Amino acid sequence: MAFEVPKINYSGAIKEIRLGKKEPPIMVGGETCYPFHLFEGSMPNLPRIAMEVYDSMPDNWPEAAVEPFKDVMGDPVKWARKCVTEFGAQIICLQMASTDPNGLNRGADEAAETARQVTEAVDVPVIVWGTANQEKDTEVLRKIAEVCQGKQLIIGPLEEGNYKKIAASAIGYRHMVIASSPIDINLAKQLNILLTNMDVPENEILIDPTVSSIGYGIEYCYSVMERIRMAALTQQDEKLQMPIICNVAKETWKAKEVKISSREAPELGDEKKRGILLEAMSATVLLLAGGDVVIMRHPEAIRLVEEIIGELAG
Amino acid sequence: MAQAQIHKFNIRFLPDDITVSVSEGVTILEAALAAGVNINTRCGGVGTCGSCRVWLKEGKVRSKHSARIKEADFKRGLRLACQSHAVSDVTVEIPVVKANSTAASRSLSSGRRETSILAEGWAFKPMAEKIYLEIQPPTLEDNQADIGRLRRSLKQRGIENLAIGHDTLKRLPAVLRESSWNVTATILAEEPSDILVLLESGDTSGNHYGIAVDIGTTAVRAQLLDLTTGTTIAENTAYNRQADYGEDVISRIAYSRRKLGMEKLQQAINETLNYLIDEMVSHSKVDKAGISHMVIAANTVMIQLLLGINPESLRLSPYVPAIDILPQLKARTLGIDLPEHVYAYIVPSVASYVGGDIVSGITGSGIYQRDNISLYIDIGTNGEIVAGNKDWLVTAACSAGPTFEGGGIKFGMLAASGAIEGFELEAAGGTPEIKVIGDTAPAGICGSGIINTVATLLRIGVLGQNGKFIPESGCHRIRQGADGLEYLLADASLSEHGQDIVLTEMDIDNFIRSKAAIFAGCQTLIESVGVNLEDIDDVIIAGTFGSRIDIENSITIGLLPDLARERFYFIGNGSLIGARLTCLSQDLYRDGLKVSEMMTNIELSENNTFTSNYIASLFMPHTDHHKFPSVEIGR
Repeated sequence: MAFEVPKINYSGAIKEIRLGKKEPPIMVGGETCYPFHLFEGSMPNLPRIAMEVYDSMPDNWPEAAVEPFKDVMGDPVKWARKCVTEFGAQIICLQMASTDPNGLNRGADEAAETARQVTEAVDVPVIVWGTANQEKDTEVLRKIAEVCQGKQLIIGPLEEGNYKKIAASAIGYRHMVIASSPIDINLAKQLNILLTNMDVPENEILIDPTVSSIGYGIEYCYSVMERIRMAALTQQDEKLQMPIICNVAKETWKAKEVKISSREAPELGDEKKRGILLEAMSATVLLLAGGDVVIMRHPEAIRLVEEIIGELAG
Repeated sequence: MAQAQIHKFNIRFLPDDITVSVSEGVTILEAALAAGVNINTRCGGVGTCGSCRVWLKEGKVRSKHSARIKEADFKRGLRLACQSHAVSDVTVEIPVVKANSTAASRSLSSGRRETSILAEGWAFKPMAEKIYLEIQPPTLEDNQADIGRLRRSLKQRGIENLAIGHDTLKRLPAVLRESSWNVTATILAEEPSDILVLLESGDTSGNHYGIAVDIGTTAVRAQLLDLTTGTTIAENTAYNRQADYGEDVISRIAYSRRKLGMEKLQQAINETLNYLIDEMVSHSKVDKAGISHMVIAANTVMIQLLLGINPESLRLSPYVPAIDILPQLKARTLGIDLPEHVYAYIVPSVASYVGGDIVSGITGSGIYQRDNISLYIDIGTNGEIVAGNKDWLVTAACSAGPTFEGGGIKFGMLAASGAIEGFELEAAGGTPEIKVIGDTAPAGICGSGIINTVATLLRIGVLGQNGKFIPESGCHRIRQGADGLEYLLADASLSEHGQDIVLTEMDIDNFIRSKAAIFAGCQTLIESVGVNLEDIDDVIIAGTFGSRIDIENSITIGLLPDLARERFYFIGNGSLIGARLTCLSQDLYRDGLKVSEMMTNIELSENNTFTSNYIASLFMPHTDHHKFPSVEIGR
């Protein structure tokens, strides 16, 4: 009797979502199989990488991360343009770090103005990511939603404690939302149910399962993402069939192993390579777990991950 | 050098107007306990629960500041009784809400519904039997010893291998002779051999009673049984007086480790039992000397405290009780005021939090006799769950918290007079129709009232599936309160204590945690033996709280599994039913021993599947709506 490769019987599919308004459309999701299990199903859209842009001058970045952006840091518009024109970014993720109440604590109006300028400067889809301070994010993200009406931004994070008001603005001004929950499949699903109860369309939600860098508990993130995909694809759990987004760059580049100099810790090897590799490897792990969009920083790390995606899909 | 003089102060408690004199340094709470005044405490008097609030009316106290009391209230004289002691004569007032919620004078309502899903096929043959014997007096020809003659007579009645106590032996010759050899023997079924517990003159077989008791953490329920007919001739319920030293088992365990703590707890339960017994005896005009036996069913902590056995190991991993099957003990040695010859049978325990109350309930409900798979749920502070049939039984306990009994709820109270129980509302904008137990002015809300309220608000869209209010629903009774959003249940002008009665989001959070623990416990237990919830044939709801709940609403909020409604049965206090039946039947006594050995305990506290199921249940009805096909919410 001929040997037959055992195959998983999938009964569900990930929702296919269009990000932004760019033509031809930037699509994510749509998988009918586990990540890169192309012998069992299809991935009509390969995972996408969004490039980070900070709304203010970052501090405490390792030299390796500063280098590619030295000339544009502090100017988010130029930074975003550089990412698109020079590094070929398909998606921009504007990190609203300056609004953090524990930092510069910039107001919502100023933040919204920055977001408006960036979205007007580039033609790729723009993700706007707050600081995960629930109260401040509510204020800032709502204002951005209003000021950038019609731009079809992807805004987040929306958490259990603040999803209502931000989602209401997102519906009103036609943006998509990122539903963020703390590394738990049930909490992820509950938030999606709450959002859809508010009439946020199911194909305008991305799941942020909360991720970390390698070395900082990525195994937990991996398991939860894997379980979300299993529920979505094999248990027809429609409230978990949204694409997954992973905000991983800022986790990797703040790791001690990336920041410490080669002089202080020669056993960790070359400073520059270290950060790039940690970012690329962490992102790869998350793609293997089911990530559809990874938010990354370093052009070299991005190149490595794109290469891996190409090989896995090839 | 002269000893420093110890001051004494009078503490007067309002509204009861009871005054007690105490030494300096004694807390207001301790003074209240000494005076027999009820002040609520859940933490055992360590200042963490914030429930023992009193208003200082006159005099001076010294108090530790507590995060539980707002500065403004502190200035107005609100204090925690456990954190305050008098430095002059003082008058304090116990807030009326709290006073009512624990006042022992209020009658506890017993279950409204009982069904006939009980053990079957057992013979009425009480564990204690009275047998009238006409013994042949000795003669010179037939000079067998007294005890031999007694044994011979008993053998003719089929009773052999008796153990006879020293007390009985000492009185044997006198009783036989003064009764002209016509005596009544009281024989108690026991393993490995029965015991002759009493020998009385003449025929006393008609004066033969038993007592069945369920010692609950909150309430103690007792029945006086006529052992000649099997009928229940009196029934009584009282709050467990141990509640003065902590509301739940964990705080009782903690209290028992204090100096004289165990003694106080034992004394409290003895007082409760003796009060119940005396009330029943005097009410029914029964001769107390005619009481022959007592059967006690209780959770492991209550049993170990009754017996004076350190319960510490019950709450520490690996959670092992000190005892399971016990020989019967004389009631009097346990501090229970019954005749010398009365033994108490304590229904055996299975595991740390699966006590004799559950074994008793399973025995009484007859789950172990049927082919059908039953799920037995005793919903309470500690939720106990059993699943199985005649071939297997598994059990688990899950800590649901006190919300079902009104604990952890701002205006929570037991299902006593004044508790809001019924709640109906057609549309978000309307005014609810509430039903209060005893048809009086409302004072608070009980667990079943919370189920009905939450289910209704959920159904009409005033409450989200995550238990958060939806102000956009157009419900004008939602408002901002001290603890976040709250729903106005009853206006101050209608309430007993002149305060608005509200249900807060924080209350609902606590409540959802309780319901999630019960549901996830059932799910985890059932699935651990490879059975699905849908495969359950019968669901038996036990417990006083359980007997009051509305099945439809309980399914709507995801407390109970979504099964055909006719599969649900209410058994009321299963533990007491089992204790009564055990007292009445040696068959069931032996079945109970078998049941306790048949049960496999599944520990949920360190079980990953349970944790995941629990988080999935922290949503109404559930994160997985496929589990609740008949519930429309969130579709």
